[in-house]
Amino acid sequence: MKINNIFITSLTLLCLSGGTSCKKYLDLKPLDGIVQQEFWKTREDLTAAVFGCYSSLVGSPPDVTDRPVPLSIFLWGENRADMVVPTDASTTQEQRDIKDIVNVNIIPTNTLVTWSNLYRTINYCNNVVDRAPDVKANDPTLTDTQYKALVGEALAIRSLLYFYLIRTFRDVPLKLTGVSKDSDIIDIGKTSQQQVLDRIISDLKIAQEGVPETYGTTAKGNKGRITKMAVTTLLADVYLWAENYSASVTECNKVLAYAAAHPAELALIPASSSWYTTVFETGSSTETIFELAYNLSNANPFGAFLVNGSTRRLIASPYLLEIFEQDPNDINNDRPDIRAESYFNTGSMNILKLGNQNTSYSNFQVYRISDIMLIKAEALAFTGGGTEALKIISDLRLARRAVITTQMDPDPSSADGVAEYVLVERAREFAFEGKRWFDLLRYAKRNNYANISLFNDLVSKTVLASAQQSAIAKYQDKDSHYLPINQADIFADLKLIQNPFYNR
Amino acid sequence: MKKYIYRVFCVLSVLLAHQVMYGQAPASRTLTGKVIDKKDKQPVIGATVIILDKDGRTVKGTSTNINGNYSLPVTNPAHRVSVSIIGYKSTEPVTVETKHVINFQLEHSSEDLTEVSIKSAPRKMADDGSGLKVSERDRTTSSFKLEARQVEDMMATSIDQALQGRMPGVDITAVSGDPGAPMQIKIRGTSTLNGNQNPLIVVDGMPYETEIPSDFNFSTADENGYGALLNIAPADIQDITVLKDAAATAIYGSRAANGVLVINTKRGVIGKPRLTYGFKGAVSRQPAPIPTLNGDQYSTLILEEWYNAGRQFAASENIKQFQYDRNDPLNYYNFSRNTNWIDALTQIGYIQDHSFGINGGGEKARYQASVNYINQEGTTKGTNYSRITSRVNLDYAVSSKINFRADFSYTHDNNDQLYNPTITTKNETTVNGVRNVAYIKMPNQSIYEYDEYGNLSGNFFSPAVTAQGTYRGTYNPLALATTGISNRQAERIIPKFQLRYNVSPAVIITGDLQFDISNSKIKSFLPQIASGLAFTDPLVNVATDSDVDGFGVTTKTNVIYNALRKQNHFLTTLLSLQSYDGRTTGQGLSSTNSGSPFLQDPTDPARTATEGSAAANAQQTRTVAAVGQANYKFMDRYLLSGSARLDGSSRFGPGNRFGIFPGISAAWIISDEPLLKKFKKLDQLKLRLSYGTIGNAPRNNYTFYNTYQSYGFSYLDQTGVVPGNVELTNLRWEKKTSYNAGIDISMFNNKITATADIYKDRVTQLFYNDLQIATYNGYSSVDLNSGTLDNQGWEFNLAATPLNSRNLRIDMSLNVAYNENVIREVSRLVPRENGNKVTDNGTFKTYLQENTPFGAFYGFRYKGVYPDRESTIATDKNGQQIMSPNGTPIYMKIGGAALDYQFQPGDSKYEDINNDGLIDYKDVVYLGNGNPKFTGGFYASFTWKNNLKIGANFAFRQGNDLINGTKISSTSMYNFNNQSTAVLRRWRKEGDETDIPRALFGTGYNFLGSDKYIEDGSFLRLRSVTASYTLPQKTAGRLGLNSLRLYVTAEGLFTLTRYTGQDPEVGINIKNAYSVVVDNSNTPPTKTVTLGLTVLF
Repeated sequence: MKINNIFITSLTLLCLSGGTSCKKYLDLKPLDGIVQQEFWKTREDLTAAVFGCYSSLVGSPPDVTDRPVPLSIFLWGENRADMVVPTDASTTQEQRDIKDIVNVNIIPTNTLVTWSNLYRTINYCNNVVDRAPDVKANDPTLTDTQYKALVGEALAIRSLLYFYLIRTFRDVPLKLTGVSKDSDIIDIGKTSQQQVLDRIISDLKIAQEGVPETYGTTAKGNKGRITKMAVTTLLADVYLWAENYSASVTECNKVLAYAAAHPAELALIPASSSWYTTVFETGSSTETIFELAYNLSNANPFGAFLVNGSTRRLIASPYLLEIFEQDPNDINNDRPDIRAESYFNTGSMNILKLGNQNTSYSNFQVYRISDIMLIKAEALAFTGGGTEALKIISDLRLARRAVITTQMDPDPSSADGVAEYVLVERAREFAFEGKRWFDLLRYAKRNNYANISLFNDLVSKTVLASAQQSAIAKYQDKDSHYLPINQADIFADLKLIQNPFYNR
Repeated sequence: MKKYIYRVFCVLSVLLAHQVMYGQAPASRTLTGKVIDKKDKQPVIGATVIILDKDGRTVKGTSTNINGNYSLPVTNPAHRVSVSIIGYKSTEPVTVETKHVINFQLEHSSEDLTEVSIKSAPRKMADDGSGLKVSERDRTTSSFKLEARQVEDMMATSIDQALQGRMPGVDITAVSGDPGAPMQIKIRGTSTLNGNQNPLIVVDGMPYETEIPSDFNFSTADENGYGALLNIAPADIQDITVLKDAAATAIYGSRAANGVLVINTKRGVIGKPRLTYGFKGAVSRQPAPIPTLNGDQYSTLILEEWYNAGRQFAASENIKQFQYDRNDPLNYYNFSRNTNWIDALTQIGYIQDHSFGINGGGEKARYQASVNYINQEGTTKGTNYSRITSRVNLDYAVSSKINFRADFSYTHDNNDQLYNPTITTKNETTVNGVRNVAYIKMPNQSIYEYDEYGNLSGNFFSPAVTAQGTYRGTYNPLALATTGISNRQAERIIPKFQLRYNVSPAVIITGDLQFDISNSKIKSFLPQIASGLAFTDPLVNVATDSDVDGFGVTTKTNVIYNALRKQNHFLTTLLSLQSYDGRTTGQGLSSTNSGSPFLQDPTDPARTATEGSAAANAQQTRTVAAVGQANYKFMDRYLLSGSARLDGSSRFGPGNRFGIFPGISAAWIISDEPLLKKFKKLDQLKLRLSYGTIGNAPRNNYTFYNTYQSYGFSYLDQTGVVPGNVELTNLRWEKKTSYNAGIDISMFNNKITATADIYKDRVTQLFYNDLQIATYNGYSSVDLNSGTLDNQGWEFNLAATPLNSRNLRIDMSLNVAYNENVIREVSRLVPRENGNKVTDNGTFKTYLQENTPFGAFYGFRYKGVYPDRESTIATDKNGQQIMSPNGTPIYMKIGGAALDYQFQPGDSKYEDINNDGLIDYKDVVYLGNGNPKFTGGFYASFTWKNNLKIGANFAFRQGNDLINGTKISSTSMYNFNNQSTAVLRRWRKEGDETDIPRALFGTGYNFLGSDKYIEDGSFLRLRSVTASYTLPQKTAGRLGLNSLRLYVTAEGLFTLTRYTGQDPEVGINIKNAYSVVVDNSNTPPTKTVTLGLTVLF
């Protein structure tokens, strides 16, 4: 009896303590928040995830504090070029790093070479692309059109970021699948710029098919999201970088044709005293093709960085005064180039274009209609359309009330001559929009670095006198035109090899 | 939870059903009798007469009437009857059989109220809380037991304070001398980098949670806020055992990876009620601080510092605060003082402690109940700790087979702490504490504000801006300490039930159930007067309120089966099933700019709504475990024990949730070998060997989920949702394997006992948090199992009673331990050196090298101060000055082209190891190591005629180096911080020979990490000395008392050390492979004198 009892009792105990239900017992889900297994179910989830990608373009997610994407784009596009000058307002590591980049004294531990904010956004896009089919399978209310549009937006955002990355670092890791668990983390090394470019082009073609021409309703809702014209503009820009000029012109024409058909949506705004306010401060104007939208819940990052007098890190360089030279006949400067007076303060050289107040909610302009015009002009120059190119430039200058002093008259048949004019006009049009360095590099690298001597001129304008000789020597090496990969990533991925110039 | 209660209910009903089966149909008759006093033959009124069944369970009971008569129905002739009443001895039960009348004669028990005599000295039992009774003699693992009475005299609010230096291999460090501050307890070194490094506390066999809920990141909650979690009144503690090797801790599993402290509380013993009252009153004082400059010396220094750096004050730069200009009366009166901020903050601390206990019981029921109250006024103004604990431990023998235990403990504590302004930057949070600020606060500033006529206004002088900066960086420390509020109130109730069922002599089943209900509330308030900021500043009148509630259920079911009890073979097996379910919820609220400093609650309407915040958090953890253990004993001298543990934790993903951890240990009692029996002097000689593994679960819940979160702002009026973390599917158990070999010896009738252990603990699959990964993955870090960490060392304990005569008894004990931490293997993702630049002032290099103990620091060698220009010329290795080809001397420089600084007279001189005229990373050398060679303590006591006892307890640490962080900051002369008086001998003019360089504001390289700041941190501290006097029995009796004991204890009387800082006792908190020991002068452990009294009624 006793032994039996012991067994029965212990068995009962064993069962009661949960032998079989142990696995279930230990399966605890977070008491608050939502997990991946429960997300990706409905159309609303997919839309929210796509808006997560956009949000990541303008600011960092909760619990992360790093540089917002527009600030990285701005620094990569302007810091090494000739339109900004660092101030002495800050002695932080970041400011020292900014100065090091200006003086072409760049090392892989420079904090400006981190790309984590861009790749975080790319990962969000990858997640959308990976998981969208699950949503499609689960939610019958998600139509095919909506599905393609949402995936297209994610592809376009990813392509835009890769385009910035390859222009900054040349060869970069091409991560196309989402990372959601630790086993997804594998070393992938770098992919060549050309292969990334090819991928960008093929992705953009898919996106071009999927995304709508307009999201209806408000201008704001259209300009802050990827539309078909945004994709097409990006594609035109990518082709221009890839030196595929005819393809670029084709894409430009699509945009210009759309603009001609929909002048209420897309058109140049004639010069007036409110032009700056309309296009930049208020934003979402008919000139904008794609912008990153800020609002009252999220101020743009340029206030403390550029505007606040005591903390501003960068101011406009004297080169700005040069390209916006006054018309000698216009003694009172009554009709200056409308761009000059609102981009920066000619006295303090404070940069005002990205927000003219300490806390500013101005949107960050990625592409405007003038982009398409100048991309087309540049592409035309190399496809025998010099005359048409000069016409486009002249149209734009007219709209901007450009002064006679800054006019150039290159031979329409000289591709380089026209391209140089475009380069200067782009400087005037897109100052401080994070494009100048890429313009310079595109100009210099064309035809197998035929214009590499352009950097000598750049060095003389920007670099400290004591460092100029070494900077000129460095720029002769075309590998130096790209930034190094940040040290931490080189360390973490054994396959990732440092960019050639920084290996020595 | 419901499920749980249901399950427990089931277990209980199964056990009870078992009993019911024995019930038999009653065939009633009546038993009568009379109870009289044996001496005077008078009837005893009110005596309890009970009928017991064969298992000793009460069937029926009654009381005797006025004539001493009783009558009871009897159903079974096998039942027995017994009589008891207070004041008389209970009778032996008498079997009823066929008797109808049974009379009793009771004997007075007054003469033998002393302790229950023990027949033959049984083997002392060791209680590791597992329920498996093993005598200390038969233990095969490494452990150490301390009786509470050995430490009861100390003025400790928490038992861990009293244990310092008393247990070999247990390193206890005071984090701060503030009341309520936690202690850092380490058993055999750091064995995880995973946050919580404290050992598991087990109280009466059940784990006692001391962990702070993870992910609880309200701004107000910091580690100190939860410090005094180990709040068991020292007076309630019976004994403490530390379990050190993994074979011993296996029974507690995953939370025991840092070792286990098993605490047993006092329980009732058979006898008449015994009342005890204990009182302790103490006065404590802070040791003298490092002397700092007075206002005049400070102002002189600042001006010199400023002009040496080639700067000039602009009118706007607070120059007025140093000008002592009578024409500017406000600044003159308020900034021409000689304030000693530390003195202003410091007060004498008072502590009172009352404890009241009652203890007693009979055959059936025993009880121990206690109430304890302690109130501690800290030595820094604004700090206070008070606590009420009460505990009831009940034991009830239902029958000889079934025992029931119910324990209740309740704690309420109330802790006033200093408001800590925390500065959170990108990577770290710095607490800019009151004492830190007081040390560096400009001494020429007045504490209270003067008006322009030089009259004190009585208000705190808290300017928004001084030369030193603004709030958070600096403030009026006294104003913050006295007007800032940071208060924590906590309640904790732990009811605990145990049912023990002796199924047969061979089988015992116990079921334990423990609830743990806790809540704590933290309120803080920062009034405007403390920060001095403008009324509209978001840092004015900041109120926070947060609340954490916890609920935990722990169960344990043990089945013990004595499988074999033959002549030479003993085999005992244990099966233990354990589970834990813990839930915490927390919420917090903060607001700023409330209308008045008296509106201190965040719910009060405030000027701004946007600066406030609310947060909430909920967490749940579950674990299950099954342990099988078998102890085998052969010939009573060969012992073998094996165990296997299956652990399951909800903190792992489905694939890695369970782990199996085996252990084995053996012992050989050599002294019982027939060959050695003849050595009568040798009482015991035992050899122990053990091997064991144990798993550790990660700190955070839900990491195996990919959690989604929404953005804090909207994009085009829509909310974006993004994944917030990497799902950790690969996270596995951190595994600790420990090897231990030990020897126990006792000789001369236990007059000398010694224990020595040598061990090696290896942690594999080490949790490494936030390991950097390639950022193109979308995340910058991930938690991984990576690396191997070793702790190796030895311990030695010696206890001796060299003299035990009729009048005098001398007891002594000594313990020494050595431990080193070695990283054996680490992920390639871990950087090999810390990111510090050698040319940054005040930083040291540390390198991570496999197979060397970590905690080593590297830097320059300090060679004093360049007295003059001549001396700054670089020299070659023969000491010859180096000249350039054109004959001009080469001067010493620092760092290469980027820094290009030429040393000037009065600058610090660093050794140019490679004689290249350049101080740079090539001149960095090994400077020292923070690992102590030995730690331990010793104890001696003298007892005179059992009445007077004098005991002293020492703790020591030897052979470790310390970075004197306070010396770096107090002699840097680099900013507006006040400095130590050592800078009075600073270099001032060409030719000065001194060891303190010139003052240089914001520039120069005068305090690079060098051996100047590395000091020997060895110390020997007289932890406590106690003199106690116990009243002789007779005298006590005359006073109507059972005993009376008076004592006086002094703690922290003196410390022998060569260390020049405030206190060499600095906690080593290894958070990563580069952690080094830096002394930043927290509130030092105080000097305390206690008067105490214990009365037994």
